[in-house]
Amino acid sequence: MSFLAPLYLLLAGAVAVPLLIHLLRRRIGLRVEFPAARYLARAERENSRTLKIRNLLLMLLRVIALLAIAAAAARPVARWLGAGHAPTAVAIVIDNSLSSSAVVNGRPLLDQFKAMARDVVSSATPTDRLWLVTIDGHVRGGAPSVLRDEINRLEPIAGSGDPNAALARAATVVRGGGLEARQVALLTDGQRSEWDKVPSLGDAQLLLFAPSAPPPSNRAVVLAEARPIRWTPRGTVAARILSRDSTTYRVSLNGRTFARGTAAPNEEVIVRAAPPERGWVAGTVEIEADELAADNVRYFATWIGAAPAVAVAPAVGPFIKDAIDVLRGSERVTDGHDIAIIGGDELASLPALITAPIDPVKLGAANRALERAGVPWRFGERRTGDASVRGTGFDGVTTAVRYDLVAQAGAVAETLAVVGRDAWIVAGPRYVLIGSPLAPDATNFPVRASFVPWLGAVLTERLVGEPGQVIMAAPGAQLPRPRWADAMEGSTGQRTPLGETLDVPARAGAYFLTRGDRRVGAVVVNAPPTESVLDRYSASELRARFQAGRTLVTNDPATWQATAFRGASRRSLIEPALLLAIVTLVVEAVVIGARGRRAA
Amino acid sequence: MESTRALRADLFDPASLAALGRIEIVARWIVDGFMTGLHRSPRKGFSVEFAEYRPYQPGDDLRYIDWKIAARSDRWVIRQYEEETNLRASIVLDVSKSMAWSGAALRSFSWQGAHAGAPARDGGAPDRLTKLAYAERLTAALALLLLRQRDAVGLVRFDDRIRTSIPPRARTGQWRRLVGALEEPGTGRASSAPEALHQAARLINRRGLIVLISDLLMELPDVERAMRGLRAAGHDVTVMHIMDPAERDLPSSGEALFVDPESELAVPASMADVRAAYKATVDEVIGEWRTMFGSLGIGYEIVSTDAPFGVPLRRAFALRQLLP
Repeated sequence: MSFLAPLYLLLAGAVAVPLLIHLLRRRIGLRVEFPAARYLARAERENSRTLKIRNLLLMLLRVIALLAIAAAAARPVARWLGAGHAPTAVAIVIDNSLSSSAVVNGRPLLDQFKAMARDVVSSATPTDRLWLVTIDGHVRGGAPSVLRDEINRLEPIAGSGDPNAALARAATVVRGGGLEARQVALLTDGQRSEWDKVPSLGDAQLLLFAPSAPPPSNRAVVLAEARPIRWTPRGTVAARILSRDSTTYRVSLNGRTFARGTAAPNEEVIVRAAPPERGWVAGTVEIEADELAADNVRYFATWIGAAPAVAVAPAVGPFIKDAIDVLRGSERVTDGHDIAIIGGDELASLPALITAPIDPVKLGAANRALERAGVPWRFGERRTGDASVRGTGFDGVTTAVRYDLVAQAGAVAETLAVVGRDAWIVAGPRYVLIGSPLAPDATNFPVRASFVPWLGAVLTERLVGEPGQVIMAAPGAQLPRPRWADAMEGSTGQRTPLGETLDVPARAGAYFLTRGDRRVGAVVVNAPPTESVLDRYSASELRARFQAGRTLVTNDPATWQATAFRGASRRSLIEPALLLAIVTLVVEAVVIGARGRRAA
Repeated sequence: MESTRALRADLFDPASLAALGRIEIVARWIVDGFMTGLHRSPRKGFSVEFAEYRPYQPGDDLRYIDWKIAARSDRWVIRQYEEETNLRASIVLDVSKSMAWSGAALRSFSWQGAHAGAPARDGGAPDRLTKLAYAERLTAALALLLLRQRDAVGLVRFDDRIRTSIPPRARTGQWRRLVGALEEPGTGRASSAPEALHQAARLINRRGLIVLISDLLMELPDVERAMRGLRAAGHDVTVMHIMDPAERDLPSSGEALFVDPESELAVPASMADVRAAYKATVDEVIGEWRTMFGSLGIGYEIVSTDAPFGVPLRRAFALRQLLP
């Protein structure tokens, strides 16, 4: 217990009055003649014990009353008793992640959270400090009326947000609130995937509400992916449905349904297609709506175009020609001049798959050709001797002859394979550069089984069409800005210039990235698949997970609301102190009254 | 009837009545009023002698109507007799310092029994006589009443010693002598009733009536011994215990150092604290006196100084009627 106005405790000195009265009551100055004093003496003698007890009781009652009044004036607060609440800094954290939009008992869980939060805000006093923190980490502070409006406007986000950041920020704001009583009031569904890791809240109290009812059975599209990203024009859509039983699904492109089917639980569904659309397009995989409708649709994006026309330079060797024949036979490429497969010394234009020259004498010409084509790489020192290549799909590949790939200023590229610490294959906009000639005496890569698929992927996914890619992102995430794009196209077609970062929209969907007037890629925003798994922690599990000054986990909304402002804060003892004073004075009056009645 | 009652001095407020005149006058008024209200002759004895007729008044005893006159003249008259008496009475009056007190000293407290009224003489409260003043007037009235019955009346005044001793006489002038003694000033400190009672017994040379008028602020065993002696001598004794209302009920609040003027015993007390216990103690003391007197066959009456004089006078008269 402590006092907010301790100076008023000086009033407690008034207890000296009844004490002095009690101690000095025998030093009475008024002298009265009274012949029957002998009867008085006898009465006192015969009732001395009763009189002493009564006088002592009266003195104690008066002392207690004065102490209680002094204590009330000093504004006492305590954790263990009291009415009302002391000034408290409260951060209300509402878990408005996608899972909070699940309908329970005919009402979204988030609506219940909002109602509870509004009630708590309404019970705030002017001396309290309030903040609203959403699960994406946004913090809003202000007067109760402002926060009520914020709560009313609150919508579920498309993902899981950042629970750790939200709680950490809530703890930070209540710590900085300048009040001794600090409370983080969290409203969450207790989803296991969401609260896998939790931050420490320091000395702030955590008041956590999580519903006790089991989560609704949920079906969700947890995978929707175009494979490959660039269709020429054939491609596939891979989908996986989270459900307990078979579920019908629908796949659409640009709003046009091109496939329907029934998926078994957790089965990966592959839908092949060769749609007529061209360029960057968005698609969805949808299932029937259930209690959590937000994850019944999942977005993907793909580039669709004709099969690239490939021109193979004679100098690159027979293995590439054979591989191209295979790809041509499967209609993945055609003959033409869209993409060149060529030695570095013969390079004239991009896009191109560029190999090192077989003859070392042509190394200088190759580097000059690279410079002319704008490829920011050069062939460096020639190295011989067997060396293993590392990279995805390069198992068992070795090199006997290779050139160092030397990056030039401004080189931005993806390293696809390395030898030792040196890049062996790099890929940039509209080019793929290999550090060895694709000849059997330089590398065994052309004779490996993985060569043809790799070549097909390079031609149809990296070198075909405009440079660009699909960025998979969580709702509301902040990513580095892609260099190959300068704006993002919203769902209604309006374009927003990119800043230093790529701010991913909070709503799920496929958003196109543009450069100039052309679409050059897409940002696909989907909730993490784990958000669709609604399994919840129990109250005891939640209590064990959180580290706070004091943690109260409850399934009862009334308890949560009643504890807000009180659990962590020390409650005001003014009312109990005044009540004690009143009761004491009433008892004193009763004792005196009883004495008076007996006297009468 | 109401006008008759209103004029009767024995029913007046004692303090108001005392303010109207000296003891002698007031006592006459009291006795006259008392006899008017009696409605029958107080004179009654073994040998009676006819004195006169008077008109019948409602309430007169029908035995005393002269039926012959009624038959002859159709008028109802009452035969009145003068009686001879052989009763010798001695009034023993306590004039100690404790008797010279009224509840005025407690007026600063919220005394519940306070009454508004005319100021009083003799140092008493403005609305109440001191116990002594009250007792003196009562003594005078009682003496006059007895003398009018042809009884011989004497007086002993005492405090810590005997202050006045007048032997019982029935002759004319005895009452004036008694009143003169009552008007003597001065009171001592303590009360010493036993010696006074013995003196009163000595003054009566044969069986008689002894009336002790005192506040009884004295030791019970001493009084008891004296009373036993009187009773053994064959005297009829009655005790009038004079009490101020403030002595029976303390004020409801206030604190003071209560000092006995006789013994200087000082008792600090809070009224509210001890009021109930004090009242119980007073009742207990009265019970002790009553028991003691009752066991000796002694009449005992508590006389409050705010009671009209007719009240104790009637009790004394009733006692007298029981005697031969």
